[in-house]
Amino acid sequence: MSTTGTPVLSRGGMTRKQRRLTLIGIALAVLGVAAGLVLYSLSGSITLFQSPTDIVEKNLQPGARMRLGGLVEAGSVRRGENMEVSFAVTDGRTSIQVAYRGILPDLFREGQGVVTEGVLSGDRSFRADTVLARHDENYMPKEVADSLKRQGHWKPGDPAPNPNAAGSSTPQSPARSP
Amino acid sequence: MEGSLTIWLAIAVMTAAAIFAVLLPLSRPVAAAESEMDVAVYKDQLAEIGRDADAGLIGAAEAEAARIEVSRRLIAASERMAATAGEGAARRRRLVAVGAIVVIPAIAAVSYGTRGHPGYAGQPLAERQRAVPVPGDMAGLMARIESHLAANPGDGRGWEVVAPVYLRLGRIPDAVRARANALRILGPTADREADLAEAQTLSAGGVVTAEAKAGFERALALGAGHPKAGYFIGLAAEQDGKPEEARAIWAKLVAEAPADAPWIAMLQAEIARLGGPAVAVAPAPAAVVAPEIRAMVDGLAARLASDGADFDAWIRLVRSYAVLGEADKARAAVASARQRFAGEADKIGRLDGLVNELGIGGS
Amino acid sequence: MMSPEVGHFALVLALALALVQSVVPIWGARRGDAALMATASPVALGQFAFVTLSFVVLTYAYLVSDFSVENVFQNSHSTKPLIYKISGVWGNHEGSMVLWVVILTLFSALVAVFGRNLPLTLKANVLAVQGWITVAFLLFILKTSNPFARITPAPMEGRDLNPLLQDIGLAIHPPLLYVGYVGFSMSFAFAVAALIDGKLDAAWARWVRPWTLVAWIFLTAGISMGSYWAYYELGWGGWWFWDPVENASLMPWLAGTALLHSAIVMEKREALKVWTVLLAILTFSLSLLGTFLVRSGVLTSVHAFAVDPERGVFILAILVVFIGGSLALYAWRAPTLKQGGLFAPVSREGALVLNNLFLTASCAAVFIGTLYPLALETLTGAKISVGPPFFNWTFGPLMVPLMIAMVFGPFLAWKRGDLAAVAQRLTLAFAAAILATLATYAVTTGGPVLAPLFVGLAFYVIVGAILDIAERIQLFRAPAATSLARARGLPRAAWGAAIAHAGVGVMLLGIVGETAYKQETIVQMRPGESIAVAGYDITLQGLVPVEGPNYRDLVARLTVREGGVDAGTLEPAKRVYTARAMPTTEAALKTRGMSQLYVSPGDPGTDGSIALRFFYKPMVLLIWIGTLVMMFGGLLSLSDRRLRVGAPKPSARRVAAAVQPAE
Repeated sequence: MSTTGTPVLSRGGMTRKQRRLTLIGIALAVLGVAAGLVLYSLSGSITLFQSPTDIVEKNLQPGARMRLGGLVEAGSVRRGENMEVSFAVTDGRTSIQVAYRGILPDLFREGQGVVTEGVLSGDRSFRADTVLARHDENYMPKEVADSLKRQGHWKPGDPAPNPNAAGSSTPQSPARSP
Repeated sequence: MEGSLTIWLAIAVMTAAAIFAVLLPLSRPVAAAESEMDVAVYKDQLAEIGRDADAGLIGAAEAEAARIEVSRRLIAASERMAATAGEGAARRRRLVAVGAIVVIPAIAAVSYGTRGHPGYAGQPLAERQRAVPVPGDMAGLMARIESHLAANPGDGRGWEVVAPVYLRLGRIPDAVRARANALRILGPTADREADLAEAQTLSAGGVVTAEAKAGFERALALGAGHPKAGYFIGLAAEQDGKPEEARAIWAKLVAEAPADAPWIAMLQAEIARLGGPAVAVAPAPAAVVAPEIRAMVDGLAARLASDGADFDAWIRLVRSYAVLGEADKARAAVASARQRFAGEADKIGRLDGLVNELGIGGS
Repeated sequence: MMSPEVGHFALVLALALALVQSVVPIWGARRGDAALMATASPVALGQFAFVTLSFVVLTYAYLVSDFSVENVFQNSHSTKPLIYKISGVWGNHEGSMVLWVVILTLFSALVAVFGRNLPLTLKANVLAVQGWITVAFLLFILKTSNPFARITPAPMEGRDLNPLLQDIGLAIHPPLLYVGYVGFSMSFAFAVAALIDGKLDAAWARWVRPWTLVAWIFLTAGISMGSYWAYYELGWGGWWFWDPVENASLMPWLAGTALLHSAIVMEKREALKVWTVLLAILTFSLSLLGTFLVRSGVLTSVHAFAVDPERGVFILAILVVFIGGSLALYAWRAPTLKQGGLFAPVSREGALVLNNLFLTASCAAVFIGTLYPLALETLTGAKISVGPPFFNWTFGPLMVPLMIAMVFGPFLAWKRGDLAAVAQRLTLAFAAAILATLATYAVTTGGPVLAPLFVGLAFYVIVGAILDIAERIQLFRAPAATSLARARGLPRAAWGAAIAHAGVGVMLLGIVGETAYKQETIVQMRPGESIAVAGYDITLQGLVPVEGPNYRDLVARLTVREGGVDAGTLEPAKRVYTARAMPTTEAALKTRGMSQLYVSPGDPGTDGSIALRFFYKPMVLLIWIGTLVMMFGGLLSLSDRRLRVGAPKPSARRVAAAVQPAE
């Protein structure tokens, strides 16, 4: 890591230049590996957010993994045997039936915003393995707020996104099925 | 305005202190300042090296080398200071001093002047609560009662007093809590059981839940013929789809009631609504209803008239009118709500469902 | 005297003083004028006094529920318990910014008071740079986020009673994080001051290190505490979620850790100067980013900017000016800095360079994963989320070589090391690793195939750290008395480094145990039913409603038997805060050694049953114990006398005799 001087032979037999090249080589190798890892995992672990209308309009095929968000349609929650739950997620225009098995987050409520992650299982039905709700009763997930706004259902001033209300580190609360 | 005098005094003192913080170091003689220069630092370091070497923390060779290094810097620092001190120093100091005296108050005046409210004293809650209450300051009164109850949650009387006010303000869940507390602390009586169950019913949007029904039954057990409990038990029967039973319960209530009981007319109306024969008592104005319910419904209507954004409150209002047998008002409320939420298909759908459910479609 | 207006005015005066501090000392430094440079200290102290006064006044307004202050009205309630009234001060944007500046000016004041061993020019420049940061933040507060905005007439009651935010963990960990973030402003100020001055030597590195260490210790504490809070309070049993909020604090931590290590090279060998300065700048930039990412609400919604454009633009301006400005200064001045000592790739320096490479690469990976969705949304409108697998797959592989190198590093000689010789001295560590791996394979069933290897890695790190100390004090090779004397004579920094490294191993052990061998079952149980989890027989006795002061619990009463012997009860609860009808989940924990049984209830069914989620988390406590050990190492290192003395250490070139490094 030096900028001056003539090549000096050290006991290791490496010139100053060689040393520098070795270091730079190692640095590039590490960065290359890191970049490779980033690109590889980025392609595998990105999930797109879709609203119910998106799913219908884009005619998405079953089997695709995605996040689906909207409001839990009032009166749509049905609890079955063995912690099976089904409910409809709506953006006011379209609704999609979601099936989930497991414990729902505390703030999961009818009429409230929700984001689910899982796989589209058929025509307008969705198998969720994760259900997210926020730890703030005013919170509406931002994707949901956006898509509702697109559908003309959310007006500023509604008790919706309030980023400052939560504590500094209140991550989203996921409920994951086993 | 003693308060505003204090604040101006505070502002003056603080500004003076800020200016002083700048002037203080400038006022010291240059020589004194210079003696504190790097020279002192390096002398300190030399002493440290000596102590470290004595304690065996660094080797003798290292200590010696460090001493040489520090000494070199010490000499360089002294030379640098000697070269630069003097010229222009006095002028610069004057400039900074004058700048501080002018700039600090100026910044403070501009920034605080545009945003501050020096005449507005602090308003600690406790002080305001000690002050004489303003008549009609409902919110203030409530806050006072609530903070009293927060401090003395064992005051059952207080809960009993505050509960109807909550109902009037439409704060049903609070009313439920207040009545539950009153019941728990003061012990059960027919009235308290019935009042709690009534609040529970209201919080369920007018549906007599199993919980509430149990409460009314306890009230009846404590005081046979308790009119409110009887009424709601009947209503529960009706909601269970047994209008016959409801009618029978109410008829029995009317028959056993003292002739001047104000609620007889209302029960008569209810019985009539279910298609039963009038029970023999002189008719009275239909508007006489349990006063708390009346007050609560009126309060809700007034609130929605001024701010009608709460859809669920509209549903509650319609239900309440229907429960009170005031189908016209219920229809009017439905109409207002329809107008209010015209663009929203799901809400209109819910209104339609409600109208069907309550059977107030008629007109 | 405690009128909110006093607090407001104090903030304004602090701004005026900060402006003086930004200009006068640096002018003095340019001219070599001691009197002007000497203004820096009292002015810094004055600022600290005024900002603190303002914070005290704000806290007082919270204590007495002065709802004429809008900030109090929005974020407090008269019936809140005392401690949450206080923590409410920084539980919101405006108050937290004031706390930020309190800590910032506290650091300036500390330099003013304890910086007597700093050369006056450096001190003046450092305080001036701190002054710039203070000016920016005070302007931001006064212009866009004034905590002393008033309402008239004052409302009778405040708005916030959110019970979830009423938690002791949540009350304490933001201030810890802030001390960490702000502490890195000192490294930044030193770096920029050195760039302005053009003087950068080993002494500089030694002056910077304690500040960086303080910041690092607090940041470690803050992150660790936040993680434990999420674990026990949120009720879903995880301890790290790669949530953007968490990443925002992890990034400066990674960069700061790299900075700590590169500063060692600079102090000992005067090498890596340019890189160290860059790291100091980057670390603080990430701290700024972290502060704003969390506080501005950008993470929850890009629309936070649109909703409050003034605030958003101001934040962007601060980021651009400080990050861009310092990087520009760096690009301009760095080439003039003289390069220092030479070293072979295999050497202590080489190992530390490797450390820096892996730490910064992992930091960059986290950065990309956190900000890529934001960038993509801003550019294309597409909404994506980058899930934990991304971070596990990028972060994990980068940490493995780092941990392998971490053990070698302290054994390698400066300038030129001998890998084979070091490997030989590490035989015991390798043996421990192999043994631990084999033992794990033999004992455990199930779990990922690679997990035992990670257990081995953890043991290798821990034993390696112990060997480091053993080697230095010649344990078992010299007489016990000699070893003891050497142990006492060993610099605390050396102890600190070894202990902190061991802490990393301990933490890794906890992480592997938790992730690879945890057991999880969700069942719907009725009273009287039993389930077996990890050797425990758990029976649901019943569901009991319990009234609390402001909540109602539905407690699932569980009895636990272990091998037929009674082992106590677990009482997780579904809690509803009555005032807001807000449901929360109260998990119940049973600790056995370092492992925990964790139960969190779901929704009760209509038939008297309840969904219960059981986790068995082996070794989970080691995660936080590991961080505690790391912090303890940091503290030891901080207490090292040599760090505080600030004596310029002779460079090795000059003292050819000092072959064996002291550390």
